[in-house]
Formats: sequence, structure tokens, C-alpha cells
Amino acid sequence: MSDTKPTFEEAQRELEEIVHRLESGEAPLDEALTLWQRGEELYRLCRERLDAAEGKIEELASRVETSRPEKP
Amino acid sequence: MLVSMKVEATDYGDRRVYSVGAFNRGVSSWLGRLPTVWVEGEVTELRRQARWASVFFTLKDPADGACLGVSMPRGQFDALRLELADGDRVHAYGRPELYEARGEFRLRALSLERFGLGDHLAALERLKQKLAAEGLFAPERKRALPLLPRRIGLVTGNDAAAKRDVLTSIQARFPPASVLVGETYVQGPRAAGAVIETMRALWSVPGVDVIVIARGGGSFEDLLPFSDERLVRTIAESPVPIVTAVGHEQDTPLCDLVADARASTPSLAARLVVPDLAELLQRLDRSRGGLERGARRALERERRRIDQTHERLGRAPRLLLERSRSRLEQTAGRLKALSPRATLDRGYAIVRADDRIVRAGDAVATGDLVDVELAKGGFGARIEETR
Repeated sequence: MSDTKPTFEEAQRELEEIVHRLESGEAPLDEALTLWQRGEELYRLCRERLDAAEGKIEELASRVETSRPEKP
Repeated sequence: MLVSMKVEATDYGDRRVYSVGAFNRGVSSWLGRLPTVWVEGEVTELRRQARWASVFFTLKDPADGACLGVSMPRGQFDALRLELADGDRVHAYGRPELYEARGEFRLRALSLERFGLGDHLAALERLKQKLAAEGLFAPERKRALPLLPRRIGLVTGNDAAAKRDVLTSIQARFPPASVLVGETYVQGPRAAGAVIETMRALWSVPGVDVIVIARGGGSFEDLLPFSDERLVRTIAESPVPIVTAVGHEQDTPLCDLVADARASTPSLAARLVVPDLAELLQRLDRSRGGLERGARRALERERRRIDQTHERLGRAPRLLLERSRSRLEQTAGRLKALSPRATLDRGYAIVRADDRIVRAGDAVATGDLVDVELAKGGFGARIEETR
């Protein structure tokens, strides 16, 4: 994940702010179209994040052996 | 009994040599000068027999496993009626002693007290006050949990229940979740240390954005490691947020107070660390719908505005025409009011002779022919008389 790309949360928050701005009907057409484009981009980004996650359960490779008590 | 005595040695040249018995007596006498103290530990390997003058047991340090043999006069031990079991924590009052016959060092206990629940609670309360005073439990220290952790670290025992509960709840809520499980001891003398090391190991793995510490219910003593001061401090210094799911609702080990979030059950812990995928997708799709609607609405609003302007533009010439027409009609009305016809309507007549209007009697002569125009029609006439 590159540092310049927003995290899922950031992307989702920005997307929702854009929707809010668009729904308020205050944005002039030029801005509305720019917002829409940006919103679509953010939506794609969020979906990609979700689709990229491949659920897996792993065991911690290096068990913490040192802390295991000796058997009595 | 320890009695200070003179220790005999044999000299071989310049080498002074002690017999084993003399050496032991010497050490024993030196040990005998040490003070009587209280020692805390857990009782293990309790050995008591009716024919023995003393009972024997081992005191074990729950923190690091260090051991100390203890002997106690059987009569005194029995009189206390402690009914000790392995693992019970006690305070033993005694002094160091060497069992001379075997050169074995141990604690000679004179008195023994069970270190009970009340004492634990008091000690725990003191620790709680101390850590609270340091600000470790302050709400402003709590970090927000990531909405979508790349990886979830799970510290759990190898007991199936708690681990399975967390894993199945996480997977049910958010199937694409990645979990890194650190299995370790969550009970017994070394649990605190083991949990600490497992946490450290987990947070060093790249991508681990949150750690869950899960342990099923247990007795007050079972959960004591989760109030361990080192464990609490380790949670406080963790670079990633920590969620605890230890014991049941009514238990509040100190780790719960320092953790960034606390869950009373493993499935609630899952709810905290992963979002509901279905809900998340719905919310995303709603946002996208709003995006389209919003953009379309902005477009339609602009189009409507253009259309209105256009319509006004089309209406402008017609408006001009109508205005001209009405002005024309007004003029026509005024014109009509001024026309002679209106005068004829009132009963006047126009008399013309040779197409000239006759305005005076002497303009014509008897016998002339004139033309008379009326409001309706007219007639020709011959002048009979002039005046």
C-alpha cells in the first residue's frame, strides 16, 4: 500500500462527504462533475481494498518458546 | 535448633580443612543470625506424615518460578487448619535454615497465613490506584480501532473455545479478514510473561493493525495474570490498538482498563475489530448511488436553467409585438374619437358643393346642386334659398 493512497477509512469518509456536497445541490455543474469523478474513483478504491483482502487464518510462526514453563 | 558453636578444623600445613559436618554447622550458625521474615509464594509438593515431626512443602514464585523448600513443625502446621492445596498462595513467616544432615537450605516456617482473595483484591486495588494515578487508564489515551485492519493479531490460549469463538465471529462478519493467531499460555504462573511476549511478537509483524487478547472465563485467580503490572504496561505501550476479551462480563482485570477497547465476549470483540462486510458494501453502494444522483441532479438543474433562459429568449419578440399592437389599438381608439363620423352620429350632416365642404350660406347660390352626407348614407339637394 503506497503512502499517498488514502486508507479505506479516509477514502470512505471523503466519498461520503462528496455525496453530501452533491446532495446539498450547492455545487455548480463544473464542480459537481469533478466531485462525481473523484467519488467514482474513491468508490473503486474502496471496492478494490475489499476485494484484495483474502481471508486467511495463520499461526504466528515464531512461537514464544522461551516463556513456556518447564513441565513439573 | 540452631546453636552458635565453635567450628573445628584440621590444619594440613597452611591449608585449613573442615569436615562436612563442621562446614554445615558453620554455615548453619551463620544463617541462624539472619532475621525472621515474611515470604510470599505458592504452595506445591506439600508432604505431611503423622510420624514426621515437620511438614514439608515448596514455595514457588508465581512470577518467575523460583522455588524455596519450607519446613514447619507439624503441630503448629496442623493447628492452623489451613487445608492447603497445591497452588494456594501463602505468606510464610520464618528464617533461613540449613538441614545439616543433608546440607539442604530451606525456610524454617514458624507461622503460615493463607494469602486470600481479600489480600489479592487489596493488592490489586493498590496497583489499580497507582496505574490510574499515572494516567494509564485515561480515556484520552484510548486509540480508535481501524475500520478495516489489514491483519488482526489474536493472543489466545490453546483452549478451543475462546479462540474458536473469536475466529468464527470474525469470519462470519467479515469473511476477507486475515488473522494471525499467537497461541500462548493464558493461565498459570507464566501466563503474564507469555502473553506479553506474544503481543510483542504479533505487533512486530507488518500489517498487524490491531491485537485482540481473548481468554475464556475462569476463577479470580485464573484471571490474575491479566492484572499483572507488566502486562498492563505492555498494553499501554503497544504501537497498535489492543482489544481485550478476558473472562466474563462481571470480571474486570486491569488489562480491560488500559486496553483501547474492551469486549465482554469473544464475538463482541470480533464486532469491534472487523466491520460487517454486507453493511459496508451496502453503505458503499448507497454512497455511489448518491454520487450518481447528485451529479445527475446538478446536471438537470443546469439544463432546466438553460431551458428557462431559452424560453424567455423566445418569448421576447412576441412580447414586443403584443406591446406594439396594444399601443396601436389605443392610438386607433383615440383616432376614432377624433373622426367626423362620430359627429355625424350625433345628427350633424356634411354638405359638399363641387367636392368642397360648405361652411357658409353665401358659398352657394339658389339653384346650386349640393351633396349631403349623413351618418348613414346621404342625398343630393338643390338650394332653394340662401341666408
